[in-house]
Amino acid sequence: MDTLLQILVNGISVGAVYALFALGYTLVFSVLGVINFAHGALFTLGAYLTYLGVGGAVGSNGALAGWALPLALPFPVALLLAGAGCALANLLVEAIAFRPLRRRGAEPLLYLITSLGAGVVLVNLLQIAFGAEGYALPADALGDLPPVLSLAGARIRSVQLLLLLVCAVVMAVLTVWLERSRGGRALQAVSEDAVTARLLGIDSDAMVRLSFALSGLLAGLSGGLVGLSVSIAGPYFGIVYGLKGLGVLVLGGLGSVPGALLGGLVVGLAEAAVPGDLSGLKDAVAFAFLFAILLLRPQGLLGRPPISKV
Amino acid sequence: MTAAPPLLQVQGLSVRYGSVLALDGLDLEVHAGELVALLGSNGAGKSTTLRAISRLVPASAGGLFWGGRPLLPLRTEQTVKLGISHCPEGRRVLARQTVAVNLELGAWLRHDRAGVNDDLERCYSLFPRLAERRRQLAGNLSGGEQQMLAIARSLMARPTLLLLDEPSLGLAPRLVEEVMGTLADLHRNGQTLLLVEQNAEAALAIADRGLVLEAGRVVLRGSAAELRQNSGLRASYLGG
Repeated sequence: MDTLLQILVNGISVGAVYALFALGYTLVFSVLGVINFAHGALFTLGAYLTYLGVGGAVGSNGALAGWALPLALPFPVALLLAGAGCALANLLVEAIAFRPLRRRGAEPLLYLITSLGAGVVLVNLLQIAFGAEGYALPADALGDLPPVLSLAGARIRSVQLLLLLVCAVVMAVLTVWLERSRGGRALQAVSEDAVTARLLGIDSDAMVRLSFALSGLLAGLSGGLVGLSVSIAGPYFGIVYGLKGLGVLVLGGLGSVPGALLGGLVVGLAEAAVPGDLSGLKDAVAFAFLFAILLLRPQGLLGRPPISKV
Repeated sequence: MTAAPPLLQVQGLSVRYGSVLALDGLDLEVHAGELVALLGSNGAGKSTTLRAISRLVPASAGGLFWGGRPLLPLRTEQTVKLGISHCPEGRRVLARQTVAVNLELGAWLRHDRAGVNDDLERCYSLFPRLAERRRQLAGNLSGGEQQMLAIARSLMARPTLLLLDEPSLGLAPRLVEEVMGTLADLHRNGQTLLLVEQNAEAALAIADRGLVLEAGRVVLRGSAAELRQNSGLRASYLGG
């Protein structure tokens, strides 16, 4: 039987990853008002890149069978590089799936198709390169850190604490940057009123690219962390997280940064409260929770009514 | 008029929205230090003119020149860099940001911190009510205060030319007077302004020259004094 502390730590750390992931959706949504459906695929890419970074070899079914980096990087370095790789990949997604439509002033619904397409292509490329099998990051990826810590009678995996720590730091830095820095305020200005932002001299195209790069970084970091924590189930494992991240986004309130955090924690805790022998029901519980809250608060927990633009 | 080349030159500018010709061959010059009023009723093409100058809408024909340099190939952000600041219709303050952040964002392209701080203080002394509310969200200001914030924000770019789109719209008569008084002060201190207004009386009281647009064409142009005396204009825009 899990102790309450154990459930809380598990729930909060899983929730923190959901929040980090959902924040990536939020960044793009708040600037463009559309959802990037390739986000789940970037999460997968982040996990694979982290796996390669720590020295993992490609399995026998992939086109790159047997290939590995000549060196094994420490996990934090591999994770950061994976995040940077996903930031670049998301810039490519923006250039291919978003920018041509933006130039034409296309219907928001069309972005759904193009970004979903970009995601499917990315997942298939991963499958060609790595095969469909699952991968687990080596147990010693965290070096000398003991795998399990005992805390007040609860047995807590050190990975969970690491997840929590990384997510907390990244989200704190991002929030301070958004609220206090020149660039963050400019990004918010574009998100509130892109035309006015341009009249102030803010290059809104550059801000859109910045939001995609940051969003890709968040997807990559959360993918790498989940890869470490629960292993990579195959090229499609980002899809479940993609859907759950959308759930978190809607739950917290579209476009709200604190909403994404709260939504992530709520879904994480709801899942962690499901006993181990019923773990197959985790997703059902998480989504049931989502439905229940949306019935009571359709705008999400921290959603705000849209500001009308005259 | 002056021998110096115009700051802004608009030559035969046309703008088309689908099948509608919103602006039909507009010619207009603004010289340094002038306050030019662009008058006309709703839908005459006044806002479209400003939106074309700041490159928010594409031109279908004609030319736009800034000190002789073509403006048409530029993007909006680049026109701001050249010194054109467009204060849009409906104020469009950033409602979720504080007054202070709105003003700081007005100076987005500037990197002279000390100069920006000086201009912030200048804006606060020009509009004391903004100083009192500098930590409040812009969305919580009254309509008049938002208009003042929008003008102050445009000034934060230290523009060579200030484009103003209907600053009197929706304001009580006392506030219209206050806003127009501020514009007259700016003009007196050497600021060049292109003022779009439906309130022709208020605009001509402070302008040097004016143009009247109707259905995308100039139907009347002249000095502010001439236009104030013009019987046709009096009948349609100045209430007799």
